[in-house]
Amino acid sequence: MSRRKPYEFREPAKSGPVVWRSLEDKVASPSTRKERAESEAGRQGFVGGLLGSGGLLKKAAPKEDLLAKQPRLSRRGFLATTGTAAAALSLQGCVRRPEENILPYVRGPEYSLPGIPTHFATVTERGGDSLGILVTSHQGRPTKIEGNSAHPSSRGATDLRGQAFIWDLYDPDRSRFPVGPGFPAAEEPEPAAEAASDEHPYEAPAAVAVSARWAGFDEAFGALVAAHEGNGGQGLRILTQPSNSPSFQRLRGLVKARFPQAKFHTYAPITDRNVLEGARIAFGQPLAPIFDFQRADVVVALDSDFLGLDTGNVRAGSQFGPRRAISNPDSDRMNRLYSVEATFSSTGASADHRLRLAARDIGAFLKNLAVALKDKGLELDAVGSAVTATDLGAEAAAWLEPLATDIIENRGRAPIVVGPRQPAAVHALAHSLNHALGNFGQVVDVFPPVDSEQGDTLASLRELVSEIDQVTTLVMLGGNPVYDTPGDVNFTELLGRDGLTSVHLASHFNETSEQATWHAPETHELETWGDQRAIDGTLSIQQPLIAPIWGARSALEVLGVLSGERNWRSHYVVRKTMRERIANPVTFEREWRRALHRGVVAGSANRPVRLATQPAAVAQALGAMPANEGTLGGGTVEVQFLPDPALFDGRYANNLWCLECPDPMTKLSWDNAALMSKTTRDELGLSNGQIVRLSRGDKSIEVPVWALPGHADNSVSLNLGWGRTRAGRYGNAQTWPGLAVEPDWKAGGFDVQAIRGLDGFDFAGGVSIEATGEEYELIPTQEHGYMEGRPIAIEATVEEYKAEPEFASYRTVELTVPPLWETQDYSAHEVATGRILHKWGMVIDLSSCTGCNACLIACQAENNIPAVGKQEVKRGREMHWLRIDRYFVGDSDADPQVSMQPVGCQQCEEAPCENVCPVNATVHSEEGLNDMAYNRCIGTRYCANNCPYKVRRFNYLDWHNHLDQPWSMHGAFPHVRQMGFNPNVTVRMRGVMEKCSYCVQRIQEAKFRVRREHRQLRDGDIAVACESACASRCITFGDLNDPNSRVTRLASMNRQYKLLAEIGARPRTTYLGRIRNPNPAFAGSGEEA
Amino acid sequence: MNIFPRQLNLLPIALGGAAFIGGGVLTLVVWYYLSPKNLQVGYAPEQPIPYSHRLHVGELGLDCRYCHANVEQSAEAMIPPTQTCMGCHSVVHSDQGAEDAPADAPLRPLWESWRNDESIDWVRVHKLPDHTFFNHSTHLYGATNENGDQVAIGCESCHGRVDQMEIVRIEEPIAMQWCLECHRDPGEHLRPADEITTMGWEPSTEWAAQVEAHVAAVNPPENCSGCHR
Repeated sequence: MSRRKPYEFREPAKSGPVVWRSLEDKVASPSTRKERAESEAGRQGFVGGLLGSGGLLKKAAPKEDLLAKQPRLSRRGFLATTGTAAAALSLQGCVRRPEENILPYVRGPEYSLPGIPTHFATVTERGGDSLGILVTSHQGRPTKIEGNSAHPSSRGATDLRGQAFIWDLYDPDRSRFPVGPGFPAAEEPEPAAEAASDEHPYEAPAAVAVSARWAGFDEAFGALVAAHEGNGGQGLRILTQPSNSPSFQRLRGLVKARFPQAKFHTYAPITDRNVLEGARIAFGQPLAPIFDFQRADVVVALDSDFLGLDTGNVRAGSQFGPRRAISNPDSDRMNRLYSVEATFSSTGASADHRLRLAARDIGAFLKNLAVALKDKGLELDAVGSAVTATDLGAEAAAWLEPLATDIIENRGRAPIVVGPRQPAAVHALAHSLNHALGNFGQVVDVFPPVDSEQGDTLASLRELVSEIDQVTTLVMLGGNPVYDTPGDVNFTELLGRDGLTSVHLASHFNETSEQATWHAPETHELETWGDQRAIDGTLSIQQPLIAPIWGARSALEVLGVLSGERNWRSHYVVRKTMRERIANPVTFEREWRRALHRGVVAGSANRPVRLATQPAAVAQALGAMPANEGTLGGGTVEVQFLPDPALFDGRYANNLWCLECPDPMTKLSWDNAALMSKTTRDELGLSNGQIVRLSRGDKSIEVPVWALPGHADNSVSLNLGWGRTRAGRYGNAQTWPGLAVEPDWKAGGFDVQAIRGLDGFDFAGGVSIEATGEEYELIPTQEHGYMEGRPIAIEATVEEYKAEPEFASYRTVELTVPPLWETQDYSAHEVATGRILHKWGMVIDLSSCTGCNACLIACQAENNIPAVGKQEVKRGREMHWLRIDRYFVGDSDADPQVSMQPVGCQQCEEAPCENVCPVNATVHSEEGLNDMAYNRCIGTRYCANNCPYKVRRFNYLDWHNHLDQPWSMHGAFPHVRQMGFNPNVTVRMRGVMEKCSYCVQRIQEAKFRVRREHRQLRDGDIAVACESACASRCITFGDLNDPNSRVTRLASMNRQYKLLAEIGARPRTTYLGRIRNPNPAFAGSGEEA
Repeated sequence: MNIFPRQLNLLPIALGGAAFIGGGVLTLVVWYYLSPKNLQVGYAPEQPIPYSHRLHVGELGLDCRYCHANVEQSAEAMIPPTQTCMGCHSVVHSDQGAEDAPADAPLRPLWESWRNDESIDWVRVHKLPDHTFFNHSTHLYGATNENGDQVAIGCESCHGRVDQMEIVRIEEPIAMQWCLECHRDPGEHLRPADEITTMGWEPSTEWAAQVEAHVAAVNPPENCSGCHR
């Protein structure tokens, strides 16, 4: 019934799998697979794993030799090693436990109780949007981010960046003091600083020198301000990031009033400028659209990653997800998503129909669609006559008729969403179509932009560059223009001009700080006051969780000094802005506290703007759209520049969690690559990892290629944010010292900005591509935890679901072999003793999972999970307790569909891992949790070998310290990073096994809490980390003994199935099979799609 | 012919002696280094201020929670801030707070802490390993049994008769076996929640008769994740 072949005990299909993880997997013959399985077994083997691939003694034998019976280690070598290890272990034990002091407060602060975490509502910036968050703070140390359900852009969830940005607070490479004339940058790592920080870990090194540096900076900045006061700001320019802060806007007004000649410029490498400009064409004023995916029945996404990286992704995910999670095959709740894009995005992975098309052809596709809609009787006024059809190939042509029919049938509930990289005219056309379809007011609304004065960021940069000769003082608030401006802007040269004094405020001493006259450290968002607006105008107060760890200023404070405010401290500045909103001093304090408490200012959301589109202007803009120049192919390609799913524009480039987070689609870790289709790659005669030179004009870059199935042909996707040179110790694109005998290895990716231009900022054609003959090692995690072709990710179409509602568990083989131990009945306890017992379980709905990785980072943050570095990821030693498997579905490697599947510990009731542990380090609790006692574990790794789901992770080395000091025992571990640990979870040592615990610390905390509240646990009292991070709510945790809990209802739903049910492990995690909703009118939908 | 010199006859004796001495040294080294005294019953480190629980609790009758406030809410018992001490000692023995008070005045560190805004370096007495998560609040708060009585564990059960201690010492072996003994059979340690700080509490006969209901109410975990996370 299911499109997926039902499970049978037989060899994998000879014709090749329908489901595959990588191109190599797809083409592999049965013998190759067997070979690979065996080499995997060898890698997991005890001696092979410990000595061979660890490189302790000698390099591992080539893969094909692993099964050969040759001694890879002599008897003497073995004795020497074990002897040394034994000696090392006994020495390690010979440390007398130190006497420990307890240092209480002198004056206890109110509401701060040791051992009880506090939670604060604050907000984090997203360009023209904000994300409301709740931060958990353990005695003044923020450790974990959750979404704020009162905030319209969060709705209780977060995304990858929202989870990961707390790491940056404890980044050991953050800038710690101003640098400028007379105050040179310190060589890193400063030995004196490290020594000082051993004594007083959280104090700035050499406090006197730092205060002198700040005094020097203040004096120099004061002199600059005074000089410009005399000339009315002649030559004063301020380069900022796009801001959503009313205080910023107020101060900007003050600065402009004080220095009438001064100019503000705004630049960011990733902005929504096309979106705003498109609305300006269509409506006459810049407006930000917000889509309501909860009500939309048909969604057409054009180069749009609204579920992944575009503005409003969390909100979109929380609305879109529930529409995919249907429980009844006859339900009409299921929406349908069409996606047209060049690269393969998370949104494309969630789509029911996906068309791969070069980015430059997407405008033409929308025009074709407009023509098709017009032919179906849609009234388009002047726009109708401006659109003409273009030939985009047979596949695109075949889409138009059924797509147009589907849209027309769902008028008013069928929004067309255009991605931020498409030109403004395409956005304008989409607005016209949405308007004509009656989607406005139904599923689309437009709101005034959060900063109406911002204008086009690219034009602003262009203006700064062209007028640079008139500039005498350039104040850069945040950002990193030397790195992230397009290649045809030589910012280094601009900053080096005679007579130009530049001041750069940044969290790190980065590429730009190196070139600037002055550098001053910028606060982290969790260290300073601020105020931010969400895309719909909702105002939130950003409150600090901690004083600046190293001493720093926020952009608001520097602007405050410039504005001549009497008190430029951000707290004062923000309160003053707020006072303009609430004049009454009595209500002010009440409203202020309420806003801080809730995380939003009540009633601050804007009303949507109701305007008619201006067809003539749209028609004119469409007419002015330049035609595509030249053809693609034959050594010429189109490149498009995308934000990186983890590093975004490079601001998280030193963030270990982000660096190691596998890309949702390519599963590449620690690097970016030039993504292209397999066809394009093969035409160039290349293989994955070979470096190509991409040349555009006189600029060129060299990047390794990676074939991404489903990518458009003759198009190359380049992720921004990589290849930093001054990101920090982890993020610099660099050669890392190899361990022992391994050769040096490189990580950190490639900077692609060089071929980006002020023209061709989003995508550019006419880029020539040629092989360089060099190679680079790219490390994908896609084959780790390989499942040997077993049906793991199960899916069906709506039609198949109707025909066989229990398709997912269809033909599940009941276990006939009796279990090893007496089977425990976890629900019977309650009857026998009258005690309330819980039976924890989890349900993961594959239908709504987008593979966005938010849960993976949330798990990492909650459970103190280390990053291991690229070389160890290559060995399959990444520590993520939760991995997201990405499967390609379909026979075509050019245009497959995708299934995402998060896999953590399944908490098997008959856990295979427990049977093989020689020391009972992993045993069952009476609630059915597969407990892991780290202090018992002796590291045999039998459990990991016996785990059918490959979810156990082993601490081969002292991972937390590994990237700083490969073989040490917490020797040089940056003290400041220790502050970020969750104190309720053990920080694991070298040599122990670990795995997902269903966030048992949260379960225990909830039990303690309800006891104090004199009640029993209720459904929803416990939200595990992955569950609460998930925007589309595809993870549900709860008590399976409670018949009314959400998890019980979901786990008994018809599309439920257990992973590898036939082996009889009886997992507690239940999956819900994925449902696709293809349009029956499409050729190829159904069986063979 | 004698190829071995005569002195070699002493070798077995020398070896035996070396083994005896070496073994003794090894035993001592292992004994000393591998048995941390701060985990042993009777460990009573010297504190910066010779604070007497016997005086404050035993004679003056302060409740434990006067200083260890929030022990019923938090995982940690909390050493009180200097402020708490100063609540009384700004008046009581305030002569020791004078600038010219003798250097060995017992309350001098307290006043120095108060004046200089620096914490007092109390020495930790009860220490659990980092992989063990003990929660004071859940033991003291306890649970409600079927009769509506709040059942809890008293301070005394783990910390001993603090009211009789001049210097606080470890009274019970804080090891997993000891924890588990009580978790498996908590009956005799359970008492009404309003008696948790009472020292020398004896159960009434009615209370003792209901032990089974009490145990069912508190239901202490015996699995790993109860304490190890």
